[in-house]
Amino acid sequence: MAQNRIETPWTLAWRRFRRHRMAIFSLGIIILLVALALSAPLLVRLGWIPDPNLQPEGPNLAASYFLPPGTPGHPLGTDELGRDVLSRLIYGGRISLLVGFTVALSSVLIGTLVGAIAGYFAGRAFLFFAGPASPTYRELLGRGGLAVVLLSLVGLGTALYLFYRTEPGTALLGFAGALLAAYLLNRLPGLGEKLARALWYGFSWALLLGFAGLIVDVARTLAEPGMARGDLSPIELAGYYLAHLGALALLAFGVVGRIALDVDVVISRIIDFMLSLPGLPILLVLSAFMRNPESALGKLTASLFGEAASVAIIILILVVFGWITTARIVRGLILSLREQEFTLAAQALGVSETRIVFRHLVPNAIAPIIVDATLQVGLAILVEAGLSFLGFGIQPPVATWGNMLTGAQDYIFYAPHLAIFPGLAILLTVLAFNYVGDGLRDALDPRSRV
Amino acid sequence: MLAYTLRRVLQIVPLLFFISLVVYALVALQPGDPLEALIFANPRITQEEIEELKKAYGLDQPIHIRYFKWLGLALQGDFGLSRTYAIPATEFIFQQRLPMTLLLSGTAFLLAVVIAIPIGVYSALRKYSLADYVITFLAFVGYSTPVFWLGIMLLLIFAVWLPELLGRTEPIFPPGGYVTPGLDPAEVGFWPYLKDRIWHLVLPAFTLSVISMASWTRFMRASMLEVLSQDYVRTARAKGLPERVVVYKHALRNALIPIVTLMGLAIPGLFSGAVLTETIFSWPGMGRALFDALVEKDYNVAMTALVFLALLTAVFNLLADLAYAVVDPRIRYR
Repeated sequence: MAQNRIETPWTLAWRRFRRHRMAIFSLGIIILLVALALSAPLLVRLGWIPDPNLQPEGPNLAASYFLPPGTPGHPLGTDELGRDVLSRLIYGGRISLLVGFTVALSSVLIGTLVGAIAGYFAGRAFLFFAGPASPTYRELLGRGGLAVVLLSLVGLGTALYLFYRTEPGTALLGFAGALLAAYLLNRLPGLGEKLARALWYGFSWALLLGFAGLIVDVARTLAEPGMARGDLSPIELAGYYLAHLGALALLAFGVVGRIALDVDVVISRIIDFMLSLPGLPILLVLSAFMRNPESALGKLTASLFGEAASVAIIILILVVFGWITTARIVRGLILSLREQEFTLAAQALGVSETRIVFRHLVPNAIAPIIVDATLQVGLAILVEAGLSFLGFGIQPPVATWGNMLTGAQDYIFYAPHLAIFPGLAILLTVLAFNYVGDGLRDALDPRSRV
Repeated sequence: MLAYTLRRVLQIVPLLFFISLVVYALVALQPGDPLEALIFANPRITQEEIEELKKAYGLDQPIHIRYFKWLGLALQGDFGLSRTYAIPATEFIFQQRLPMTLLLSGTAFLLAVVIAIPIGVYSALRKYSLADYVITFLAFVGYSTPVFWLGIMLLLIFAVWLPELLGRTEPIFPPGGYVTPGLDPAEVGFWPYLKDRIWHLVLPAFTLSVISMASWTRFMRASMLEVLSQDYVRTARAKGLPERVVVYKHALRNALIPIVTLMGLAIPGLFSGAVLTETIFSWPGMGRALFDALVEKDYNVAMTALVFLALLTAVFNLLADLAYAVVDPRIRYR
């Protein structure tokens, strides 16, 4: 009997989702769009649509430009170079969906990770810095002192080398590698934790030294021309000496002091900071920056992705801003979930913290995360189209819905179809994702019952 | 409350410092330096002259030094010259471009408020009626539409299709700009001039307002429904108050509370989101200025605009939080 079947929350959710007619309809549209995007090369090979970048050749070229929709062989007409609009639309859909899904998935994964860490460790400060003469470090020296000192010096040396002798990109990679090394050390039985901390403190010393050095460096360079002329104003002179004094005080503190940081506070500040950035303009700046062929980053993306570099760049910069919403949602949920009895039970059983976060807490927050992911697909497609439209996104000849519209405005008097169809495609796709998100929100809400 | 406000105001200072630092780094590391155009224009330029120019512009120094130099001058109100227009960047942004953006964003904001609130309330009062479904659908379409495409479609309709249909040669609404070129208020009189300005404002303002309009309608509806199910609304009804008083005095006032925050938070977005609208309608505003500055590597202008937008965002975030406390006495900040 049907009543005897066990109903998981997912079957219940599916039943509720099915009742949302627009959502089901939209889901059908999305599946259709995905199928169309996946099969595009096949359609070209079958000869059903021409190649999206195929330009007509022959004596009377003008006759094949700006053909209106309904022309035989070109159901949606041709563009200013005689390329088939329908084919470009289908190929543009490949890019839009690729960008949408990749951005949403990466943003949600990163956002969930960051939000979960912030929420779970909120209120518990981590020792970020401990000077060589601080009580914490002296305690660490107790057993295996020599190994501790050696590892700290290795950390200090590596960090200083990375800061002063390498490109920013390499430094970042090196820093990530060192963090990984510390993490792996931490997992070693016995002295592992001690050694990991030793390595990390060495690194933190370099951070402090580097910061003090930066202050002095800036003060010196700014004051240099004035000093050479001997016309520094008293305020400037005071600033110059104050900077030196500050750096010295920082170093003195660094010998004996400790700095504890609450991960949650740090992450929340970063989120506040990101939210204060003017969104679209910053995306424009970031996009131009990443495409710089002279910078290390520009070289890296160009060598990694070749032709598709602009797609990769767009995905990257959308993820830079995309994780924030997810992180805020997940952080809030985890903050309340970690106070509940099942978390206490898991802690009492001695379950590891990683396991508590990812097996006990995050699965309980999955419903809003899924809804957020769906909405982010639509948003990413919209923003990508906007950036590509402005010429700061995906570059021609790769066809996208956004860059198909770039020139379209100039032709609206005699070729309005060039402006209509790409925009309709964006609208339809984004609308479908928003409706599915809405349906999921209702379906996954445990308070609503069928 | 005062202590809270002061603390938040003080927090804006380090925030702006970090934002300007990040933005400066990004802008300064843009492809090609500002000298490129100069070098390009003079093919006989020697390497020494390039080095000298670099020195004169301070480009020979590392980026953190350049940042602090820029900061020192910026704190005294000197944001440098615009390379394209050869006037101070602040004069260009604040005197020429900001008023135009204020006009556009302000109109769009008002338009969104005036349309979204009544429609949202109506939609909530007629829950699950045909009108409600239509409004909900339109709201979904509204925030799924790419702004720039909407602009192009409005141009197509009002400058191409409708005039054709009506047999007119003139577009219904002008396709771009903020005033008919050469129109002089001294010549044509004040009212025709004002009409011309308003005519130019209609399409861009509507385009810019659509996303806010759509999302506020949805929020207003949800907030109103939430309030209408509260006990005090039932009490008001039970006392025999007229429905009008219940809805507009008891329910609407409370339903507006969360909307106020939402609107405050949306204002900076109206400024920075105007880039696309201003591009479509060739509106000489700040978003357009920023876009052009990035394309033409006019860094002083780009920095001025970006820092101003960041300040605006920070200030309106604060104002939204404070407004929340003012309109909702249950909220206490410490």
